[in-house]
Amino acid sequence: MATLRSTSPRVTRRAQARLGVLLVAPLMVLTIIFFVFPLLSSLYYSVISYDGVSADPPFVGLANFVQLFTDAEVWHALGNNLIWIVIGTISPLVIGLVFALLLWTVKRGSRYYRLALFFPYVMPGIAIGIVWGWIYDPINGWLNVALRAVGLGALTTGWLGNPSTALFAVLATAIWATCGFVMLIFLSALQNVDMELIDAARLDRANAVQRVQHVILPQIMPVFLMVTTVTLVGGFSVFDIVFIMTGGGPANASDVLGTYAFTNAFQLNQISYGTVIALLITALSIPCAVALNRLQRRLSLEGMG
Amino acid sequence: MKRSSLWVGLAAAGALALTLSGCTGGAPARSGSGDGKTVSYMIGQPDTPAQLKALRSELAYFTKQSGVKVDLQVLPSNDNLRTLVQTRLRSGNGPDLFAYDTGPGFAGVLAKAGLLYDLTSHANAAKWPLFAWTKPSVTFGGKFYGIPDQIEEVGLYYNKDLFTRLKLPAPTTMADLEAAAAGLKKAGKIAFASGDKEAWEGGHLLSMAVAGEVGPQPMSDLIQGRGDWDSAGVKNALRTWATFQREGYLPPSPNGISYDNSNALFYSGKAGMDPTGTWLAQDLKDSATFDVGFVPFPAPSGPAVPTTGLGSGTFMNSGSKHVTAALKLLDFLVSEHHGEWELSQFSIPAFPVDLSKVSLTPLFQQVVTDTAAYAKSGSGTGQNIDVAETDVFNKAMWDGMQGVLGGQRTPDEVAQSLQAAAEKH
Repeated sequence: MATLRSTSPRVTRRAQARLGVLLVAPLMVLTIIFFVFPLLSSLYYSVISYDGVSADPPFVGLANFVQLFTDAEVWHALGNNLIWIVIGTISPLVIGLVFALLLWTVKRGSRYYRLALFFPYVMPGIAIGIVWGWIYDPINGWLNVALRAVGLGALTTGWLGNPSTALFAVLATAIWATCGFVMLIFLSALQNVDMELIDAARLDRANAVQRVQHVILPQIMPVFLMVTTVTLVGGFSVFDIVFIMTGGGPANASDVLGTYAFTNAFQLNQISYGTVIALLITALSIPCAVALNRLQRRLSLEGMG
Repeated sequence: MKRSSLWVGLAAAGALALTLSGCTGGAPARSGSGDGKTVSYMIGQPDTPAQLKALRSELAYFTKQSGVKVDLQVLPSNDNLRTLVQTRLRSGNGPDLFAYDTGPGFAGVLAKAGLLYDLTSHANAAKWPLFAWTKPSVTFGGKFYGIPDQIEEVGLYYNKDLFTRLKLPAPTTMADLEAAAAGLKKAGKIAFASGDKEAWEGGHLLSMAVAGEVGPQPMSDLIQGRGDWDSAGVKNALRTWATFQREGYLPPSPNGISYDNSNALFYSGKAGMDPTGTWLAQDLKDSATFDVGFVPFPAPSGPAVPTTGLGSGTFMNSGSKHVTAALKLLDFLVSEHHGEWELSQFSIPAFPVDLSKVSLTPLFQQVVTDTAAYAKSGSGTGQNIDVAETDVFNKAMWDGMQGVLGGQRTPDEVAQSLQAAAEKH
């Protein structure tokens, strides 16, 4: 069996190898410090029972994992994550795409619309949470005041205090904050769409929906999948806006895995159990991200992108 | 050679990572008494910048008197205080002194882990004049570990002007309270400005109701783990608030109303009563344009049982390198001068202070006088549950009260969950 051998002198090969290691080393160090070590550390914490202060936490084996799978609140929180993933992924994609398509053809004042729609995305999460908390206030909140003003007083409720509406109220806020980002990404992708193909579709009497479905979407599919990946994985790891607006309440009604992990780790001093829940978030989100990445690559190879 | 270089590189990186990891754990550093002239003191963010400025000024006075400088470390959020203190103490990089929640579920955990300095002999020698009833909250395993601080009472503020105008009785008995609530509702007002969005407010509502239902000693037994939370008294206390909610005496969807917004309902005159703590006295001075009264939450029969608690305590790091300086600051924190300063900041110290030397609003004067009287009477008070219980219990209580106020859970179910949470520790 023939083997390929480099024709470069041995000294050159050695120098190239050294250079390679030198170039890779910074990234390796960063990866080890910020990824490998925390991951190993998490795995260590998952098999002990650490309360945050004990000098000698006991080894408990898989007990934390057993607790994870028998804890009804985990499944409830996971259910909320799934609601968040489905609605929180589809809604910004659809709304962002519609806005992007509308602005794509706008000539005058386009930049002002873009600015207005993108502005929520750059606002700090804490500010968004507080402002929307006021909007949702049962007595003086704008939403209920507006509903009463238009004769829909029967629909008023304590949006964040009602267990049936709390999660959806927070989700609506998150969608409002995300749509501008999605729109801007789509808008930049649309700049690369081949206008001749759209004109050809028009000549073939394709209506607007058909043009979007069969001409525009295939051309921006890699970007579409990238945005889908970002919002979908964000659905697993969602934490800040829920924590700010409801803290997972009322009575755990809007708890997601992120808030439940935080509650256990930092409010109940069950660092190990909180770590296990965080590992569950990682274990669930990585396959989704990888699958979408592969789909994106396959579609690119098939020429859809 | 090429491979061995790579592995050497990786090994070096791994060693670096492990070295860095040493910064995040390990046993706390120990050191004996030092003669440093600077002591670090970590606290959570005070409610207002003015309060922080006043504290800095007070500590500057201490420095002038003692020659000990204070490195005041203020965390931007009180929520992070516990986590940060724990991490820093464990890493051997903790502050000399720090504010922390009292009770076995909080400071007691640090004491058990050997992270707190034993103050027993110093406190005895210095004869700290603390109220006797406050000492158990900082005493663990027979050793004394800190200075209890910020005595609080939770009860009912009521709008005296509104009550007079509507000819309602002051809510000093349960019958009067119910009559007042019904009268306020009839007049188109919200009876209780009760929001429970942050969840901890519900713990205060339950505390005052349980105190009236079971009385001081049985309540103490409950908190010490000698009583049954799934008992008639606790269930009745839960039912009181469930009934008030059902009767429409609380705002709509109290779980959606934040603490600040619920107080705003009281300030604006939309609500007639505000069930909360004495810490609100300062805000009331600035925000209420009407005469305000404060009474303990009434008992179903007999006299009302006041509900008191401690807001926080000051503790010392067992690994402090500035023991002498830190002890001087602790001595200052229980001095007459500091006690007067605390009262001027609408905070009640855990030791007696001569009220004649301090100018207080009538409402706060009444609160401080009442609290001192409770401390002297020896008849005992009810307890604010959340500052005495564990995190696990508090979570069950807060979720349970949100469930009761939101109509998701019955008082009986919540009482069961409270007992289950109490049994975990």
